[in-house]
Amino acid sequence: MDLVLNRTDYLQVGVTSQKTMKLLPASKHKATQKVVIGDHDGVVMCFGMKKGEAVAVFKTLPGQKIARLQLGGVLNIPQERIFIAAGSEIRGFTKRGKQFLSFETNLTESIKAMHISGSDLFLSASYIYNHYCDCKDQHYYLCGDKINDVICLPMERLPRIVPILACQDRVLRVLQGSDVMYEIEVPGPPTVLALHNGNGGDSGEDLLFGTSDGKLGLIQITTSKPVHKWEIRNEKKRGGILCIDSFDIVGDGVKDLLVGRDDGMVEVYSFDNPNEPTVRFDQTLSESVTSLQGGCVGKDGYDEIVVSTYSGWITGLTTEPIHKESGPGEELKINQEMQNKISSLRSELEHLQYKVLQERENYQQCSQSSKAKSTVPSFSINDKFTLNKDDASYSLILEVQTAIDNVLIQSDVPIDLLDVDKNSAVVSFSSCDSEANDNFLLATYRCQANTTRLELKIRSIEGQYGILQAYVTPRIQPKTCQVCQYHIKPLSLHQRTHFIDHDRPMNTLTLTGQFSFAEVHSWVVFCLPEVPEKPPAEECVTFYFQNTFLDTQLESIYRKGEGVFKSDNISTISILKDVLSKEATKRKINLNITYEINEVSVKHTLKLIHPKLEYQLLLAKKVQLIDALKELQVHEGNMDFLTPEYRSILEEADHLQEEYKKQPAHLERLYGMITDLFIDKFKFKGTNVKSKVPLLLEILDSYDQNTLIAFFDAA
Amino acid sequence: MLLPVFTLKLRHKISPRMVAIGRYDGTHPCLAAATQAGKVFIHNPHTRGQHFSTSRVFQSPLESDVSLLNINQAVSCLTAGVLNPELGYDALLVGTQTNLLAYDVYNNSDLFYREIADGANAIVLGTLGDISSPLAIIGGNCALQGFDQEGNDLFWTVTGDNVHSLALCDFDGDGKKELLVGSEDFDIRVFKEDEIVAEMTETEIITSLCPMYGSRFGYALSNGTVGVYDKTARYWRIKSKNHAICIHAFDLNSDGVNELITGWSNGKVDARSDRTGEVIFKDNFSSAVAGVVEGDYRMDGHIQLICCSVDGEIRGYLPGTAEMRGNLMDTSAEQDLIRELSQKKQNLLMELRNYEQNAKAESSGPLNETDGQRGIIPANTTLRTSLSVNLGNETQAAHAELCISTSNDTIIRAVLIFAEGIFVGESHVVHPSIHNLSSSIRIPITPPKDIPVDLHLKMFVGYRSSTQFHVFELTRQLPRFSMYALTSPDTASEPISYVNFTIAERPQRVAMWLKQNFLFPEDTNIQSAPFQVCFTSLRTGCHLFIKIKLSGEITLNTDDIDLAGDIIQSMASSFAIEELQVEADFPVYFEELRKVLIKVDEYHSVHQKLSADMADNSNLIRSLLVRAEDARLMRDMRTMKNRYMELYDLNKDLVNGYKIRCNNHTELLGNLKAVNQAIQRAGHLREGK
Repeated sequence: MDLVLNRTDYLQVGVTSQKTMKLLPASKHKATQKVVIGDHDGVVMCFGMKKGEAVAVFKTLPGQKIARLQLGGVLNIPQERIFIAAGSEIRGFTKRGKQFLSFETNLTESIKAMHISGSDLFLSASYIYNHYCDCKDQHYYLCGDKINDVICLPMERLPRIVPILACQDRVLRVLQGSDVMYEIEVPGPPTVLALHNGNGGDSGEDLLFGTSDGKLGLIQITTSKPVHKWEIRNEKKRGGILCIDSFDIVGDGVKDLLVGRDDGMVEVYSFDNPNEPTVRFDQTLSESVTSLQGGCVGKDGYDEIVVSTYSGWITGLTTEPIHKESGPGEELKINQEMQNKISSLRSELEHLQYKVLQERENYQQCSQSSKAKSTVPSFSINDKFTLNKDDASYSLILEVQTAIDNVLIQSDVPIDLLDVDKNSAVVSFSSCDSEANDNFLLATYRCQANTTRLELKIRSIEGQYGILQAYVTPRIQPKTCQVCQYHIKPLSLHQRTHFIDHDRPMNTLTLTGQFSFAEVHSWVVFCLPEVPEKPPAEECVTFYFQNTFLDTQLESIYRKGEGVFKSDNISTISILKDVLSKEATKRKINLNITYEINEVSVKHTLKLIHPKLEYQLLLAKKVQLIDALKELQVHEGNMDFLTPEYRSILEEADHLQEEYKKQPAHLERLYGMITDLFIDKFKFKGTNVKSKVPLLLEILDSYDQNTLIAFFDAA
Repeated sequence: MLLPVFTLKLRHKISPRMVAIGRYDGTHPCLAAATQAGKVFIHNPHTRGQHFSTSRVFQSPLESDVSLLNINQAVSCLTAGVLNPELGYDALLVGTQTNLLAYDVYNNSDLFYREIADGANAIVLGTLGDISSPLAIIGGNCALQGFDQEGNDLFWTVTGDNVHSLALCDFDGDGKKELLVGSEDFDIRVFKEDEIVAEMTETEIITSLCPMYGSRFGYALSNGTVGVYDKTARYWRIKSKNHAICIHAFDLNSDGVNELITGWSNGKVDARSDRTGEVIFKDNFSSAVAGVVEGDYRMDGHIQLICCSVDGEIRGYLPGTAEMRGNLMDTSAEQDLIRELSQKKQNLLMELRNYEQNAKAESSGPLNETDGQRGIIPANTTLRTSLSVNLGNETQAAHAELCISTSNDTIIRAVLIFAEGIFVGESHVVHPSIHNLSSSIRIPITPPKDIPVDLHLKMFVGYRSSTQFHVFELTRQLPRFSMYALTSPDTASEPISYVNFTIAERPQRVAMWLKQNFLFPEDTNIQSAPFQVCFTSLRTGCHLFIKIKLSGEITLNTDDIDLAGDIIQSMASSFAIEELQVEADFPVYFEELRKVLIKVDEYHSVHQKLSADMADNSNLIRSLLVRAEDARLMRDMRTMKNRYMELYDLNKDLVNGYKIRCNNHTELLGNLKAVNQAIQRAGHLREGK
């Protein structure tokens, strides 16, 4: 059975954060539910649908930005109390909108995530986790990296309290009191946690997680160790996951998994087999889905998925069919409802337009006076700048609450902007003639009407670092633009990992000198992505990294006065050396840099590159042949006379071409890295081999692993 | 929601834009399309089992209802239609870079086969003006040629550059068709037989044209723009990051008016309303669209819109029925309207809030440091822009210059200029480094052609530490002749070439025209007639003299015939002159032209000689091959080997000969283009018949 869901828009509020919309439990059996939502203006609104129109139950006054909204109450009865986290304060409302709680937590940072269970309150700010019981401080934990979400296994079903933190460094931390019980590594930075089936599954220990690179998984949190149940990789390259809910929308008695992503995708997974969720339905909305929940809001008797988006739209994906099979009179009634809605909106608009015109005149007038000031209207930009592991490129996602007019991209490092199929904006590259202006890339994206979200893909080169700036101009009056800055780090293609292979031949770079722990940490932050800005609490820290393109690794161990960096790739060490000495000179710190080069490592790296290079060369060769082979096929009618090799190329033609298209310039990048490796190897020896690079390229053109290794040895 | 009524998947690739439907036997519509390796396939689903058995046409080994026609050359254009009204069935016309073939599919015979020196980039079939018989009009290297059913050359004229698209349309509403020509110099020209009646300048190469109805026609550019013109006025246009492969007019929503159907390079097909450009229907293919045509492919009396993708997928759509009320897409219009209205409301509310904030900030006292960071600037900040000519220095060539400055201590963070046709892309960005920020910016502009351009400026104004900026938007027009600097008449030597003409306008009006179309320094005033002004071109350094006598007689002295033509056309259009007699002499240019003509003759003779050589060689090959095979049969392996060695050498010679021929041919084409352009340029020097 195909699941068909129809979209109906209910209402628009202000910009919303992740997990800020909930459905209140239905008061009577099968009656429609009320929606409660909190936005960035600090307004909590509760409404229900009556005859296709949104009717507000209550609406609070504006205040601080609402980061989370949760329902709570006494355990084992319907959870009807509304809790919001705004700034460092927690407020509670009854379902009628009466405020019954205002709790100032005295946290120094504003609250990012919240979980409520009975009288237990679990909060987390950027790095701090706090557990309160009846508003009294119970436990506290300082985390090494940013906390994205917090949850606690159902207390009514388990005899213990098990809070779990989702941390940016790809780890779920399972706590016991104020201590970490154990850590679970997950395949991407986790952004959201949810209880399986809403109650933790059969054992009450099943936990769902979603990551910012779009992966989804289920883990059972037992008392001693985690049990990975299943994981869905993001094959279709969809957006990061922002919200998860369990609800039986298909109507087969098994709760389905509802997932909302930051590229506007809403998915329904159903469990035909308990350990194998399959996609039953997907639909794209044009902007980030911040929260979603299954329930019944629009019409009694029809289940739906209620979704809230970044710009504050509350939309239902309902099982109610659009074209109902009913008498002609009813059809007319529906249209009447619509017409009423439209005309009321129209009159509202007219009124507003008049008001705006007046204000505009005032604004014009005040521009005559010499003392007056002109402010810039503020608008919020939801941005995400992440490294994709699969093709070693960065994706930059910009989302604004209103339509974007244009975006100017400027960079002071050489980077490539790649085309993204999804975006429809017209890109235009401008010449960057004058070197004096530090521009290596100037490009404008002129967006089509109603574009609120823009996705860009950027390819960086390791060793070349600087800042990428995006000037975003939305279509609001008065016209304004906001700058977003992103650092392209020297080792931009590295990614944090938790395990490395210690048996590889390693090159070592050692720093010693009069520097503090904070200083050396800031250097590491400067050089490598995915390192928390805040220096860790420990005296000595170890971070492991992996090069997403070549799979070489980097180990960094540092403390006050000493830093040791180990990598099997000489180029990595060389880049670190250059950047660190430059940074130290800038701050006038006397730094002792010693390095130890392992000759074997070069050969090892070349061997790592070998399969990739060979694969790419073969792919390129095959793709070149496809057209000619196809022509033969047309001419001869069958392909029996071809060798099996050619026949297999023809059979896989589409797949090969797709693969080839997916990795543009992959070969060039590999060549570039081999060249860097060659130059760096001899740089450490003190010889300049730039003159031999053409020779190297010649060898690469007719690639053979042994010749290449011999060339590296001989030169 | 409109769904395809049929979907076919052919196992042949389809070359982009090479698709046509014809009733080659008079009743059954068949799809003809160019495919790989210089072949044309004809898909005939109606009469199975009828096979062609001659050398030219053979049955496709992949599919039973497809037959292949061997052209042995890359097909550059293809169409089908009635060429000979007496025959009662359609002919297939296939153009390549050197030939045009009119083919009778039904009888499997050539109607005619003509060699075409200028190549055939585009083809259109139909009646033109007063010429009674249908013509196959092809556009090539600056030239247009029309052939009748016997291959007689009944129409010939030249145009400004290589032709990329052709269409027949009743442009002036006189009931006869005019020819629309889109060419590489970004111009759409309208030919009433061989007279140009209108010329529209676009911003990129015009890749497709199609008549809509009446005097309306659609166009597509190579930068992803599609749009609709009504006569010389553009109705609407849209630009996409994808490229429009083909456009076609079809009434998809049955409202009696054709929509513009566009097939895109990303596989999208959309139908847009001819009035507004609003999308009324869209569908997606998995690969780029190759062609959009119409025909009664199911033979049930209903015309379908047929879209083909490059991978050989073919979908047919029937026009929407009356019940659909023109609503071909999946969404309900009311929902969309509500969404749009509430978005509008949200925007207005936001604007109101912005003004409120502004009022609040105003009361908070004078400007301070943190205000600067938030991008607050004095309300009376204004921007001044001016255009001037910069003569350049050693490091920078001469250029036109746009100077922008603010009225106070605010800085300009960046300037975006959106303008078409003068930059590489559609925009130019100036983003000074953080150290070089100031309250004024000079932007060099070098338009490659003499066309008036609207510069849409967006300037980001704030303070050095701001993270938010005010965006000032402004449009300035760059005059047509901005790349000419005023110089004093005595220093420059007067060019000998000239154009002379008399207009019935007061000299003051001419002075006004000068001011509008050239960049003058601010303090120049042009004295009353008779006067003369002298300009130097910033591109080439040539001089231009414009002399105006009291009688209204104007003399242009310049060696650049294009420039003279542009000036005359610009004057004619601004003074609304319909006919203008001129007297012109361009000795330098004509001397060059004479040389070109001599060269053309030389290349022609070389070409003939090479062809003769080739014929000789082919005889030799035949004999060598026969002798080699003889030797093989006689088991005289040594002789055979020697013969094949000789053959190999001969082959090498032939390949070399071919290379020479190729070079010769490109040279020849280049020169022929120059000749064609000379005719066009000379025509530009006058107005009217």
